[in-house]
Amino acid sequence: MPKQSAPGLMSTVCRAACVAVAVALALSAAEWEWTLPPGFPRPPVPADNPMSKAKVELGRHLFYDRRMSINGKQSCASCHRQELAFTDGRARAEGATGQTHPRSSMSLVNVAYAPALTWANPVLDSLEEQALVPMLGDNPVELGLNGREQAFLDVVKRDPVYQRLFPAAFPDENRFTLQNITRAVAAFERSIVSMRSPYDRYRWAGELRAISDAAKRGEILFFSSERAACFRCHGGWNFSAVRFEGSRPAVDGDGLFFNTGVSEYEPPNRGIYEHTGRTEDIGKFRAPTLRNIALTAPYMHDGSLRTLEEVIDHYAVGGKMDHANKSKILRKLQLTESDKEDLIEFLRSLTDEDLLRDPRWSDPWQDPKRR
Amino acid sequence: MFHRLWLLLCLIPVVLLPQGSAPAVQVIGAVQHPLQLTADDLATMPRATVKTTSNGMETIYEGVWMYEVLKRAGVPQGTALRGKALASYVLAEAQDGYEVVFSLAELDPSFIDNEVLLADTANGKPLFGEQGRFRLVAGRDKPGARSVRMLAKLEVVQLRK
Repeated sequence: MPKQSAPGLMSTVCRAACVAVAVALALSAAEWEWTLPPGFPRPPVPADNPMSKAKVELGRHLFYDRRMSINGKQSCASCHRQELAFTDGRARAEGATGQTHPRSSMSLVNVAYAPALTWANPVLDSLEEQALVPMLGDNPVELGLNGREQAFLDVVKRDPVYQRLFPAAFPDENRFTLQNITRAVAAFERSIVSMRSPYDRYRWAGELRAISDAAKRGEILFFSSERAACFRCHGGWNFSAVRFEGSRPAVDGDGLFFNTGVSEYEPPNRGIYEHTGRTEDIGKFRAPTLRNIALTAPYMHDGSLRTLEEVIDHYAVGGKMDHANKSKILRKLQLTESDKEDLIEFLRSLTDEDLLRDPRWSDPWQDPKRR
Repeated sequence: MFHRLWLLLCLIPVVLLPQGSAPAVQVIGAVQHPLQLTADDLATMPRATVKTTSNGMETIYEGVWMYEVLKRAGVPQGTALRGKALASYVLAEAQDGYEVVFSLAELDPSFIDNEVLLADTANGKPLFGEQGRFRLVAGRDKPGARSVRMLAKLEVVQLRK
């Protein structure tokens, strides 16, 4: 094999570099395609963080990278497990250092449509900003990166996988920044969209046998104003308030947050009161989507209700506890045991089984240190 | 002989009772012609559509304008809708007992350009499940609270006689 001369070697290197840059640019320019069933709106995307395949792929790697925590023990995926519809199965989340979070992990499914993020922050609606909370927050410590941002950026810069993914996602000069990390994670989270449950097929795709007769009875109870009326807080195709491409922002959190009489609402779990300081806001928490709800036990902001049966019983009595701010929507319901079973069967029909295994949202790392 | 007679007696109620009768909306109360409208009946009436957008999802409902339904029932409309008749209203009731009210005037195009539809299809398919076989679509209302799903009955109530 003839030795390559220095100029020849340079030429080969230049060509390889050009090809790499071209591939990176092609990936970064690849337009994002939302694979939504007919009729569903596209979620809003911030103008300064457009979606791209390369960015979502980078975000997926970061989301599952445990090196993004103080001790290499946790990643975003530790509290948002795909097989549990991106929740963690715990009553209250636990950070990398073992500190317990006051509230439970929320599902990330269709989070792109959420008008407000987390359980009780009426002014937080940016996934990019929200990503900083688990990364840098210290009350409680979640990933515990506060003060260690540069060390993590150095790790990222040295990793050959990220050396490929970052230029593709961010072709500009200054790629390895905390801002780009949060942008990529947010893009990945935004991509987790689900409208493929048996109920979706029944309601929107004309498959009238996609759900059981019990689930059909449960649907009617759920949407009946005079019976269970669950839709009044969990209405619409996402079973929760949504924002979408072109929609107006929610005004003052109106219609998003409810006091359901599920706890005494002691600090720091006083709902949006923690942000607004208004006594009438004590105990008001976001009504989350009910998609995949059968997989996301335990329930409520504090995980205090272990099963769907307990949730139905809680609402059947109009909310277990009295509270001055308890929503007027809640009242005692006349539900038979059969009605309750039908409601639960309906809720089970909201599970998107494909979501739990979809490779687009699964762990990309083979190296156990990163997972 | 007795056995045959017994069999005949048993069959009488089966023959007389409506078997699998089609779902219908009752139009009753202060009307000249009480109605029992099925989807087949609505198909013979002037058809109209309303496009709604809920949570970013568009739906095209098709059915019959309420004023056409009321016209068929013989409810005062146009120049006949004056004086005491203006205190009359339609009480729309769902199968679960949910009720809302529309005044006759707000359903009359000679008073106001409103869009209240008695719908039986959505996006070209018959309504089903939580929507019921029939529903109202109050296209100009801001909230959907008067767009009664699972519609069962329209009762015209005359307050002043």
